[in-house]
Amino acid sequence: MSKDAGMAHLDCYLDQVRRNLRGLPKSETDEIVAELRAHALDKIEGVLTPNQVEAAIAALGSPREVARANLTERVAAEVEADRSPLTVLRGVGRLMWLSLYGLFAGLASFAGYGMAAALLVTAAVKPFWRGHAGLWRIPEPDGGYGYDLGVSDAPRGVELLGWWIIPIGIGAGLVLGWLTWRFGIFSVRLMRRSTQRNRG
Amino acid sequence: MDKPQAIPSDELGKWEIQVRKGGLGLAVLAILWPHRLYGLEILRRLESDAGLSIPEGTIYPLLSRMKAEGLVDSEWVEADAGHPRKYYRLTDPGRAQVRQMAKSWRAFAQGLERLLAPIDSIGDKT
Repeated sequence: MSKDAGMAHLDCYLDQVRRNLRGLPKSETDEIVAELRAHALDKIEGVLTPNQVEAAIAALGSPREVARANLTERVAAEVEADRSPLTVLRGVGRLMWLSLYGLFAGLASFAGYGMAAALLVTAAVKPFWRGHAGLWRIPEPDGGYGYDLGVSDAPRGVELLGWWIIPIGIGAGLVLGWLTWRFGIFSVRLMRRSTQRNRG
Repeated sequence: MDKPQAIPSDELGKWEIQVRKGGLGLAVLAILWPHRLYGLEILRRLESDAGLSIPEGTIYPLLSRMKAEGLVDSEWVEADAGHPRKYYRLTDPGRAQVRQMAKSWRAFAQGLERLLAPIDSIGDKT
């Protein structure tokens, strides 16, 4: 009975670690959880009581801490090995649920790449569909103005940049994409350093 | 003249942690030099041989990084304990790296030792 309770306690802990590892591929999650299980079983040396299990998992750290350390380390290693924008964006996306900063970095990265893509697409489409691609100023009912960038079947309002959208869109799109990419790498490194510091 | 103040013990503790953390990577690679080991064995050797006591959950992210960097390799082995264990061993690039790190560490430690020698002799006199 006590042995079953000890094993149930360990399984419960490992399930919580697994839940906090969301964002990693299943094969990597399985590997981390299997290694933690082996560690705990080695530590208790066959005495599978709830107290022994509790001591073993307390030495490992809380499920959130353990998952966070593994997740940031693996994502950072992946980003250092392949710094393509897609890998960096995927890495930031995997870390975005770990902390408020992670959420900010994730949202800022998606917004940055989205805006960069909108600028580049608008500039690329302009020569072929000139009345439908650009930046428009649209009057609002309250007397103010809204702005719409991109490609539209039925554009409204006044187009602001005309042909200038091509050089401006390409230049601003590339700069914004580069800045977003650098910010993503910086954020992943920062979150790894922060996790290492917190774990002493 | 103001009397020089001693470093508070918590500051000294932080400094000591930083020094130990700096040597942790080298210590783990050095422990794996003669043969493969699994996580808990590495932790026990760190504590018994080098006096390095680290939070247990810290070792696996560190090993994972070393694996991603190609310094160590790992394999699951069925053990007599009744469950499989993941063993780590040094790769050839890992061996080359630990040689270089050991060389740098020794040069640094010898230089520091020369600087510390007068402090020891002063300490003996007081």
